[in-house]
Amino acid sequence: MSGRTLDLNGRKVSVLEDGAGEPTLYLHGFADVHAVTEGWLPFHEKLMESCRLYAPAHPGCAASDEIEYLESAEDLVFHYLEVIDALELDRFHLVGTCVGGWIAAELATRHPEKVRRLVLIDASGLFVSGAPIGDIFMMSHPVRGTDYSELRAMLFENDRTQVGHALFPDGRAENIEDELRRYQMIRFSNRFGFNPPYFYNRSLRSRLRRIAAPTLVVWGESDQMVPLAHGEAYAAGIDNSNGVSLVKGAGHSPQAEQPEATADLVKGFLSG
Amino acid sequence: MHPVQLFCWHFMAYPHLPEDFDEKYDTGWVTVPNSLWDSEKSRGLFQEYIDQLACADDLGFDGLVLNEHHQNIYGLMPSPNLIAAALTQRSSKARICVLGNLLPLHINPLRVAEEYAMLDNMSNGRIIAGFAPGGGPENYNYDIPSVTSRERFWEAVDLVVRAWTDDGPFNHEGHYYPLRYVNPWPKPTQKPHPPIWVPGSRSASTLTEVAKRGYCYFLSSRSHGGETYKAREQFSKVLEDHGDSYQPYRMGILMSAYVSETDAQAREECEEGVWYFLRNCLKGHLRKEGRQLTFGAGVPYIPAPAWKEFLKHSDPNRSMLGDVNDWDELDKAQSIVVGSPETVHRKILDLIEKSQVGNLLIQFHLGNMPGELALKSQRLFATEVAPALREDSARVFAKAYPRMEETLAAGAVA
Repeated sequence: MSGRTLDLNGRKVSVLEDGAGEPTLYLHGFADVHAVTEGWLPFHEKLMESCRLYAPAHPGCAASDEIEYLESAEDLVFHYLEVIDALELDRFHLVGTCVGGWIAAELATRHPEKVRRLVLIDASGLFVSGAPIGDIFMMSHPVRGTDYSELRAMLFENDRTQVGHALFPDGRAENIEDELRRYQMIRFSNRFGFNPPYFYNRSLRSRLRRIAAPTLVVWGESDQMVPLAHGEAYAAGIDNSNGVSLVKGAGHSPQAEQPEATADLVKGFLSG
Repeated sequence: MHPVQLFCWHFMAYPHLPEDFDEKYDTGWVTVPNSLWDSEKSRGLFQEYIDQLACADDLGFDGLVLNEHHQNIYGLMPSPNLIAAALTQRSSKARICVLGNLLPLHINPLRVAEEYAMLDNMSNGRIIAGFAPGGGPENYNYDIPSVTSRERFWEAVDLVVRAWTDDGPFNHEGHYYPLRYVNPWPKPTQKPHPPIWVPGSRSASTLTEVAKRGYCYFLSSRSHGGETYKAREQFSKVLEDHGDSYQPYRMGILMSAYVSETDAQAREECEEGVWYFLRNCLKGHLRKEGRQLTFGAGVPYIPAPAWKEFLKHSDPNRSMLGDVNDWDELDKAQSIVVGSPETVHRKILDLIEKSQVGNLLIQFHLGNMPGELALKSQRLFATEVAPALREDSARVFAKAYPRMEETLAAGAVA
């Protein structure tokens, strides 16, 4: 695992990078690198067998600086344009989970020429009437001060998954840095995801047709946070996509819950 | 003579919850189903509550206090300014303190400047203008991103005050509230503007912002009890850092009281209302049981380094006020003072001596307490406790702050 810190006009962005092959920009979600773990998850290890993976931490996450007036997806698109320039990426694969998927979709609608292949995993970002995105913020308040079962049930297939308990344990985390990392991710998400509307940009849906890259939409079959209807809306809105690829035995976080199966799907698609 | 200022605070709780509320519902806030609202039983409820406040004015309380909450059973005042408007016509002497309007919840803070100015005119200059950012539940109530709520709040405070003091029309070049024309009519009656109070729970940043602007700091946490003096010490230090000095009217605290003829009678009369308040009204707010929204990772307004310190020094299993198991524990928490006039006088005077706080904002009506008991307690407090408390506190303050006269004359009034 190697990392570096980009300096964007005085603003620090920490980036993990590893693997050999096509450059692939990875934008993280909640049960993910930078948001719950310092280093790669097994999913990423598998993915980097066939690509060069770059995973920047979102502003305010891990050791990346916050952006004071970060308020919208638009602000994040411009942030990531600078990251892409600093990494000297010209054309690249783009993979995003949850909010990372939302940012990836926004980026791909504005700069379709930069994206070779796009992968959206349980991505937020769309408005789908009658299928509201779950309230991750309210679920981040533990019941009776220590019980995160409802948060786990929202992020994973259910509260019985082992990985859920490992990444989001009850009570105070043994290592304060782990709990702090989760807090930083929630704080980052709150800046633009809680700023009404809730985790979506109404304009995004009609812009999806601008995405030129072949696109893979991956969804945990029982996502309790971003309902499957959002995956179907992404697949329907992006011309060069082929429906939703469901991951069995996964909820909102297939990359953490089913790392093998999810990595196989993504690897197969990126090398296609 | 500068005695303690005694305020009567009404929260206007919803008193008609079913008896099994605590077993069946995990919160009294934000998501507590409003199918529980009983329109028939609630007829006349606001009238009853307003009457209690009007009675406090007749009894000679220095002020009446209201505050803003949304979608909850703890306080039925989404718009405290409506109640304040009613009180301008139902009271004649007492200050009317709205503590406060939750500025980030307003699309345009100019509306708050306008409404306070109206109220100040309607009350002939009796308004105390409270401003608050709103806590956790309020972020959920109105979808306010907590990360920026403090920045929004202080920009709004400064805009409102400037709207009252600078001649309009002017252009406000704000980040959150850019406005082309700021030019409120009417302007407030009080010059240069109504006293401004800002609540906090001892966070260094709030204390500093309050000190910078010369406002009154109001300690809003309910469980401060015997720790109140620490907040005063902290605030004194911050004031000194800003070339200012502490005097008792620069600070206020929230407390609850119930007075009856004897200690035993007081406890017997108020106990049902107290437990209703602790178990139901505080559920979701100051109770570990259920889902507490007031503070925590889901309302991440604290920057990451400060959150790390919090994680290091706090215990997620700690009990809160609403978790107290019995009357003895409640008594130790010193949040609710219950007893005969002598007991209540002694306990409050003790608090004043230790904390040197000059504004006591006292909640008399608790939970589902019957109106006649709240009125009885208010009356006994006003006639049997307040006179001695005023005299004794004036003596305490004169001794501790011999230069209080000068600072007040210099216009440094809270």
